[in-house]
Amino acid sequence: MRKRSFVETKAENYTSELIERRWLSNKSFEITLTKPKYFRYIPGQWIRLSHRTVERDYSLVSSPTDPNLALCIRNIERGILSAGLSNTPVGSRFNFNGPHGYFTYRPSTRPAVFVATGTGAAPFVSMARSGVNGFVLLHGVHSAEDLYYTGVFQSTAKQYVPCISETDSLSDAYFRGRVTDYLRKNLAAGLYDFYLCGRREMIRDVTFLVDEKFAGSLIFTETFY
Amino acid sequence: MKIYTGTGDRGKTSLFSGQRLSKADKRIEAYGDMDELNSIIGALVASLGPEYSDPVEELQQIQSDLFTISALLATTPDSPSMDTITGIGQEHIEFLENSIDRMVDALPELKGFILPGGHSAAAWAHMARTVCRRTERRIVSFLDASFKMQAPDSYQRSLIYINRLSDYLFIAARYCNHLFDVSEKLWKK
Repeated sequence: MRKRSFVETKAENYTSELIERRWLSNKSFEITLTKPKYFRYIPGQWIRLSHRTVERDYSLVSSPTDPNLALCIRNIERGILSAGLSNTPVGSRFNFNGPHGYFTYRPSTRPAVFVATGTGAAPFVSMARSGVNGFVLLHGVHSAEDLYYTGVFQSTAKQYVPCISETDSLSDAYFRGRVTDYLRKNLAAGLYDFYLCGRREMIRDVTFLVDEKFAGSLIFTETFY
Repeated sequence: MKIYTGTGDRGKTSLFSGQRLSKADKRIEAYGDMDELNSIIGALVASLGPEYSDPVEELQQIQSDLFTISALLATTPDSPSMDTITGIGQEHIEFLENSIDRMVDALPELKGFILPGGHSAAAWAHMARTVCRRTERRIVSFLDASFKMQAPDSYQRSLIYINRLSDYLFIAARYCNHLFDVSEKLWKK
């Protein structure tokens, strides 16, 4: 048997059981699943969850040292799997394959800037829960109710900047606008390690901005939707 | 899931280790050719068909090894990302050498220059061989431009692998004609 080329964790098929569902907002919820005995992963990795005939990919928000697995799920209208997960009874069993992905934290001497839109914050939650700290986190959301995990980030980030696109009843605690607006106006020119997770458009726009304003920085990306 | 992000629309691309580079960079040229080589080996596999499971399995292992080398080329040596790639070891090179020796034992003696071609699988193997040689030249060009002193071991072992792979593909072309009972055409002056 020849040695595998990629070290890391090897993707395998597992079965897990739903332990808990906790609503984070009226659109999103976190589910807790049992962790199979031999399942290992690195913060930032994702699993492919199956329910009946549908498969979807979800980043883990738990820490590898947690006794269970946790996923953050946005209840998408007409989303077959998310709708199923939103009302499947506790005790239901799921198959999943994983872990997958290379969107993992790589310590360096440059400051880390995490940029997320919506549930794209999930891999950063897992990293923060696993001891990564001192980062800048920009979290772009439509409204303040989408800012779940605030407690996790406030205790680990050097700077946590919720960027809210909705203009109504906005507190001064939030940046009004998109994450790219914040980066353009407020992040000092320099070399950073950017970690981008979320919408394709955000990833494209931030990448171009990095090319212009932060050339020489590193960029790691995970596209969510 | 849509596969495009558009981050390469302005002529730059991202390395596995996070750097942004021009798509005309020597490093990108090198792993672009690696991709072409891997695709041609895929065509070779397709032309063999599933009934030739042993050579197919061997070629698919080589395709996986080429992915590893591509990942190495897409990663700067001093990056923490390098820790996630074990790279190419002596065992990968010996795998090619042992296979070459096995095929040579089954083949008639070489009596001159062979015209590339014969069975379609052999023709694909020759195509792969020539692209493999170009890939090697691109890697050397990249290493020469990037490292004033000696290139890191991981790159040097990859270079040895690619050099050996060209030999493998030459013998594999001959072996394919042998497998399908197609006679080799020698060069006539």
